[in-house]
Amino acid sequence: MKLLICLFLVLVQIGFSQSKDPDEIINKVVTNFNRVKDYQVDVNIKIDVEFLKVPETKAKIYFKQPDKVHLEAEGFAMLPKNGMEFSPSSLLKNDYTAIYEQDIDLNGVKTSIVKVIPTGDQGDVILSTLWIDQKIQVIRKVESTTKTNGTFTIDFSYDDKVKFPLPAKIVFSFNLDKMNIPATISGEPDTEKPHTKNKNSDSRTKGKVIVNYSNYQVNKGVPDSIFEEKNNKSE
Amino acid sequence: MNDEKIIEVNLLTKHFKDLRAVNSLNLNVFEGDVFGFLGPNGAGKSTTIRMLLSLIRPNEGSIKLFGKSLQKNRIEILKRIGAIVEKPDFYGYLSAYKNLEILGRISGKEISKNRIMEVLELVGLSKRYKSKVKTFSHGMKQRLGLGQALLHDPDLIILDEPTTGLDPQGMKEIRDLILHLSKEKKKTIFLSSHILHEVELVANRMIIIDKGTMKVEGEVKDLLNAKKLKVTFETDDEEKVKNLLSQSGWGSKLESNAKTVFIFSLENNEIAELNKFFVLNGIEVNAVIPTRSLEDYFLKITDEVA
Amino acid sequence: MLTLIQIELYKIFKKWRTYIGFIAIGVLVPIIHTAMVFEGAHTLNFMTRNIQQSFIFVGNLLNGYLVSYLILTSLAVHIPFLVALVAGDLLAGEATAGTYRMLITRPISRTQIVTSKFLAGIIYTHLLIIWLALMSLVVGLIIFGSGELLVISNQTVIIFEKNDILWRFLLAYDFAALGMSVVASLAFLFSSLVENAIGPIVSTMAVIIVFLILSAINIDFFQTIKPYLFTNYILSWRLFFNTPVDFSELIKATLILAGHIVFFFSLALYIFNRKDILT
Repeated sequence: MKLLICLFLVLVQIGFSQSKDPDEIINKVVTNFNRVKDYQVDVNIKIDVEFLKVPETKAKIYFKQPDKVHLEAEGFAMLPKNGMEFSPSSLLKNDYTAIYEQDIDLNGVKTSIVKVIPTGDQGDVILSTLWIDQKIQVIRKVESTTKTNGTFTIDFSYDDKVKFPLPAKIVFSFNLDKMNIPATISGEPDTEKPHTKNKNSDSRTKGKVIVNYSNYQVNKGVPDSIFEEKNNKSE
Repeated sequence: MNDEKIIEVNLLTKHFKDLRAVNSLNLNVFEGDVFGFLGPNGAGKSTTIRMLLSLIRPNEGSIKLFGKSLQKNRIEILKRIGAIVEKPDFYGYLSAYKNLEILGRISGKEISKNRIMEVLELVGLSKRYKSKVKTFSHGMKQRLGLGQALLHDPDLIILDEPTTGLDPQGMKEIRDLILHLSKEKKKTIFLSSHILHEVELVANRMIIIDKGTMKVEGEVKDLLNAKKLKVTFETDDEEKVKNLLSQSGWGSKLESNAKTVFIFSLENNEIAELNKFFVLNGIEVNAVIPTRSLEDYFLKITDEVA
Repeated sequence: MLTLIQIELYKIFKKWRTYIGFIAIGVLVPIIHTAMVFEGAHTLNFMTRNIQQSFIFVGNLLNGYLVSYLILTSLAVHIPFLVALVAGDLLAGEATAGTYRMLITRPISRTQIVTSKFLAGIIYTHLLIIWLALMSLVVGLIIFGSGELLVISNQTVIIFEKNDILWRFLLAYDFAALGMSVVASLAFLFSSLVENAIGPIVSTMAVIIVFLILSAINIDFFQTIKPYLFTNYILSWRLFFNTPVDFSELIKATLILAGHIVFFFSLALYIFNRKDILT
């Protein structure tokens, strides 16, 4: 009898775990994140992309709920658009359908995979896959497929010392295939060898951007005026 | 006149394609000479001068200046030469003073500001020293040309038609200057011209060239001596005149004859004497025609060219 | 020799045509600056339109360095003309003026005459490039400020850090001066052949334009002869704006250009030494 009860309990556990509620999982993460009202952080950006030779740059990112973000640097800095804003709420701002897939071990951490399919036609993302660490209620990895910019992946690393669900490092990876390779300036004849042109357009090399975050100032208050300045120079 | 040869030219030849501009020319200029280099236009005078100054490379022959080969000692030689070659041209956008200053700096000697002004004074341009050369008349440029030739006090002065474009007063001034340089400063002067009279007044030795070849060379006083004339006697009896001349001293004065026409080289006072001699010996003299032989010759070749 | 060079430089700078080059640059560069003040942002937008689809960036990319880079790129034909204008007159001008007679009858060798004129021409060329550098870089930095330099080369976007730019420009201008010295040498060579400056100027420009056109035609035959055309290497200053800098390629280009200079000069010297001066 005892054996039967135990077996039953185990089966119930399994049953429960196999049918986790994806919305619940997500909401927990969002709630956790919403502990952060605002933050400013120093970032170190390293870009590792074949057609981009950019030096390591230092910048500052300001964030204020729900979706205000501002990048600031003394000199030059660039960040992939999709990596600027990674709060769960931004990833999930449009209507979506969530499906829980399974639990999986990701780099030694137990995560739950939730697929998010935006409904409606807004936004660039077609499908996102989230690896959620339910222990500390953070997203460990995101893989999104977009209409215009191919697929990108964001890997998050966290620092135990930071009490908020804010990453210490993110690695943003994307597929160069889908990225448009820029033309030369002013149309003058190329002095370089022509064969590299073909190489690039056939290339399936992945590009990577690694951002290290340090010196978070969380919930210290960020004035709206910072976001009102001509935001990130995209022109 | 010294015995030192300042210019020694041997078998000098230059041709441009089919034209022999200078043909086996020999000439010698001694220290202290005012040497007249005469010839009609196109005779090869300028070509010869250009070869003397290393502007043109000869095809054959040799040039020695101050006893040294021009080819091997060009720079050393040119330090001692001042020259005008044809029409003097300058940097028109610079002043007279500046032109002389620049040329002075590359003349191989230290040329002071005073020296430049002295030379400008000598050629009558001291008042216009600041003016740009492009504002100068032809005569003024000619003077400035002379100035640049004298700037570094050369031992040999080569003047190619120096009086071209000058008025009679200017011409006289140049002649006086040449005589002064020769007599007072003991310079050797090589003067080229197509005007016999101009050379006659200043030169002590001369050469006439035509079609690149030397025609006449010698001391001016000998060549142009008014005392020595070419006299033509038109007579009536060739044999009788010939017999008479062979028996008398007049035979040595005979240059040539064509039938009854006899040509003698005589001094002025000998014309009447010879005429008297013929008459007394029964020879009828139909005409006596004296000419200065060289002038005659030079006019002839100049006319041909013209 | 120093005296001769001084005299030649004095003569060069006493002629009005010498100032055409300096005035042209003095006018052209501010015009480009003005255009960039109004249209610069648009130009930058255009250059970065593809990256902007995927990236956000901040920083003063429209700065003096970018403007100077664009100016250097766009003056490929103008500067050679300004150089040929003076270099083509160095020997032919004396013939036209009739001043050879005065010059060559001085106790200086023809080699000294030709060399001093050549060096004066090279000095002029360098002064012109220095003027270009001052006008575009110095004035550009004053108007547009400093910042990182964005260069697109061989389908790669390169951003150079602020402190990693100036040395590249200095070497690029240096290299540009070398390239323009080749142009000066060619004009000088042509100048030794004739008695009027127009011929050398026009011929030099004709050679450059023809070579540039041949290099641009995308037919195998022309691409094969391209490495033998000196114009191909004049543009190699752009190699400084690459990372890493291909120094072996630069050394090769330098040697080729230097070789051309030596060849053109030697030929001019030979011709002039043997020439009969009939003017």
